[in-house]
Amino acid sequence: MHGIKKWFGNFQAVDDVSLEIRPNEFFTLLGPSGCGKTTLLRMIAGFEMPTEGSIRLDGTEIASLLPNQRPVNTVFQNYALFPHLTVAENIGFGLKMLGKPKAEIAATVAEMLKLVHLDGRGGNPVTQLSGGQQQRVALARALAPRPKVLLLDEPLSALDLKLRKSMQIELKRLQAETGITFVFVTHDQEEALTMSDRIAVMSQGKVRQVGEPWEIYDRPAERFVADFIGDTNFLDVDVVAIEGERARVRLASGAEILATFPADIRPEGRVTIVIRPEHARAVSPSARPSPAPPLSGAVHDVVYLGTDTHFHVRLADGTNFMVRQQNARSGPCGFAAGDPVGIELSDDVAQILRD
Amino acid sequence: MSVSPAEVSETLRRKDIRDRWFLSAPALVLIGVASAGPLLIVVLYSFLAPGSYGDVKWAFSTDGWFNVFFSRDIFDDTVSLAEAHFSIFWRSTRVALATTVLCLILGFPTAYFIATRPPHNRSIWLFVITIPFWTNMLIRAFAIQEVIRTEGLVNTLLIKLGIISAPIQMLFTDFAILLGMTYVHLPLMVLPLYASLEKLDFRLVEAAYDLYASRLNVLTKVIVPLVKPGLIAGSILVFIPALSSYVIPRVLGGGKNLMIGNLIELQFGQGRNWPLGAALSVTLVAIVLVALLFYVRNVGKTGGGAHG
Repeated sequence: MHGIKKWFGNFQAVDDVSLEIRPNEFFTLLGPSGCGKTTLLRMIAGFEMPTEGSIRLDGTEIASLLPNQRPVNTVFQNYALFPHLTVAENIGFGLKMLGKPKAEIAATVAEMLKLVHLDGRGGNPVTQLSGGQQQRVALARALAPRPKVLLLDEPLSALDLKLRKSMQIELKRLQAETGITFVFVTHDQEEALTMSDRIAVMSQGKVRQVGEPWEIYDRPAERFVADFIGDTNFLDVDVVAIEGERARVRLASGAEILATFPADIRPEGRVTIVIRPEHARAVSPSARPSPAPPLSGAVHDVVYLGTDTHFHVRLADGTNFMVRQQNARSGPCGFAAGDPVGIELSDDVAQILRD
Repeated sequence: MSVSPAEVSETLRRKDIRDRWFLSAPALVLIGVASAGPLLIVVLYSFLAPGSYGDVKWAFSTDGWFNVFFSRDIFDDTVSLAEAHFSIFWRSTRVALATTVLCLILGFPTAYFIATRPPHNRSIWLFVITIPFWTNMLIRAFAIQEVIRTEGLVNTLLIKLGIISAPIQMLFTDFAILLGMTYVHLPLMVLPLYASLEKLDFRLVEAAYDLYASRLNVLTKVIVPLVKPGLIAGSILVFIPALSSYVIPRVLGGGKNLMIGNLIELQFGQGRNWPLGAALSVTLVAIVLVALLFYVRNVGKTGGGAHG
């Protein structure tokens, strides 16, 4: 899709979005509520018309087609199952509307029931199913006509945590088995990172960054992306030199480290870098006197989480820095509030932000 | 001395039942006095003999019922089926059915239109729908008469515009009756339909479009099944009063084409045959009951009550 803009009256929901979604890809639109991701999805489905721009599917322009003319099906947030029909009738609805012969519909429905592990439940009324089962029916119903693209609008948000986890794996499996392109909308960063081949992070109607999960997480291009996904430390630094694809930056402590930066900018002067808490290690200053760790400060809070411990460190210049350390050993975690600590960084963990 | 838990719960249960009867007493009294009582009087009167100047003689007689279905020739006492009555019953049912269908055809799009407006505007539209209720039905009937009579609004306009040269006879025809009946009963169809459509989850409509349904299929396969309770309720609400309507056929039909209501009125008035009138009334109630039975069965069969 190219140059998509959508206005609702005076409110611009989608602002000049251009995206290329590859065949057989699990593509996720990630962003806070109101960022335009659902509007974008609804434009692909055909429920909304873009004010400007074009949407092409396999080279064919579809932006002006009605929803029932597009080889695209949707799994709705609330499932939107037809309450007056049985499980099998729901799944077969699309095929019936396409005028497929009865025998073919029955065969596909049986296949779909098997695919979503609901064999033998075809005759049940959908109103008697649990949330997770309704979710599966909604999936089967959208997959049955074998769409070229399957759109999923926050389909897991109504499920409890455990069910959500198992459905994430289930969705990934279905995508692999069917080979259909999935476009998934969510505000849950973990869900996005777990399932996606690629993620587009959106805010205020704009796409902020597109990339594979590790790129989004480790190489955020903007403050919004870094802040929205996971916990992050922001540090103000000065660019000293550009060394190929890395920039040498000087921290407040005077130490210099290498940082990556987005391909479309050439950093200079004062910039902000991000460092993920788990890419740093807290060490006792006495254990590593020389060379001194690049950052140092005093622990002011220790949060024990079982698998991890979070150390909140106040650096010498007053900035807060969080270190996430895995509890590799049993027993107390080593530092207490007030302890002075040095912070070591792994290689290649700093990323310069665009803004 | 101790009271066992079983005794306590039994006492509470009795008290609970007593309380329920007590609480429902006003409704029960109202139903008894206002509904069952009068109906029983009508049933009783239908088994009495007619008095000479109206009223009834307190003597048991089945003549009222006999006369509903049969007529006795006044000269040779031969008994034949009361074809006039049958044709009036049949006619009334036909007119009531036609009214129901017309109200459905006109009411569904209206209700759909209102239900798809923004919530704030819906109340305005509903208000507009109820405006005719502010005026007495008799006055509305005469107003329609004024519009469609030979020298009325429509004919004058059409002649002035040169579309027709002579006025069309509209008043005192079946057309006039249907027009009036549909006009009067339309809100009774729109309101329950609106109630159903307003609850309809339009995401289901989107889902149907998404699954390749045409507009017609969305209507017949999704919307109509989901608003069926409203459709049936509206149909019953229109059919019952239409079947027994009295003012509209009288004013707009010119009294030429009798309906049940007019026939009953005749027995209590000029006919001076109260038992026959009462028997006809009970017959009317029976027809309505059959219609209601049909309604209950239909809703039960589709499970429409579950999501109504």
